[in-house]
Amino acid sequence: MKHDIGCLQAIEAFYAYLDGELDNPESIEEFEHHLGHCRSCFSRIDMEKALNKRLRETAQKESPDDLRDRVSKLLAKF
Amino acid sequence: MTNDDTKAFFGKGIEQHIDAMYSVALRLTRKGADAEDLVAEAVAKAWGSIHSLNDRARFRPWLFRILHNTFVSDYRKKSVRPTETSLDDNDEEDLAGLLNEQSDDFLVWWSNPERTFFNDLLGEQLLAAIDNLPEAFRTVVILVNVEGFTYDETAEVLGIAPGTVRSRMKRGRTLLQKALWKQRPTLEGNRHET
Repeated sequence: MKHDIGCLQAIEAFYAYLDGELDNPESIEEFEHHLGHCRSCFSRIDMEKALNKRLRETAQKESPDDLRDRVSKLLAKF
Repeated sequence: MTNDDTKAFFGKGIEQHIDAMYSVALRLTRKGADAEDLVAEAVAKAWGSIHSLNDRARFRPWLFRILHNTFVSDYRKKSVRPTETSLDDNDEEDLAGLLNEQSDDFLVWWSNPERTFFNDLLGEQLLAAIDNLPEAFRTVVILVNVEGFTYDETAEVLGIAPGTVRSRMKRGRTLLQKALWKQRPTLEGNRHET
């Protein structure tokens, strides 16, 4: 039977897990085991993933054409 | 490596990262014109110090470090906004409790069958919530969550320890949730009107 890390410990590892920064396989396994039977933490992860997706969609911008022109001219001078 | 090779490498790198540079600059300066100036200035400075790039595989964090340093040295000083409260990175001040308590409210809402929260959330509202985060947390959230930098790369960009990136992430995301939670009445009002 796997060790249950509990919600407080899971919350500590929350963003590291989501951001792919939890690199110890044992920690990942413990965290995922906790998610497997904790509805609250599972929903929280679900919500955080949705927020991450929305953040990327909203804050990633294409650079304006005039900035691209300006930088191209700058690069040509180097 | 000839000068032409260096120029070609640099030009290709800028082309690859210019959208991300602009996205980050926009959230740092919060103004399109200032963001464009910041990117152009950072590109010029980066070329001027290309000799300091020892490992070309580290081009991205090196470039964004120059962008961030340029913002800190040139643009932050010009800001008309009052100095933001700098929250102590070591101040864990009940972080787990805050996250727990606040997320529970969020989760009840999130768990409703419609799950419309993120659909109802307008882009401007989300950007406003990000832009109102204290700069230290805003920068980390943008680099990690939006641009996909690792904690190590983010630490390199900002000149801080990876552990500090980790704690700023937690705090930044918690503050962001708090800000979004405060917008809930507006979102629900919009939903009822439609």
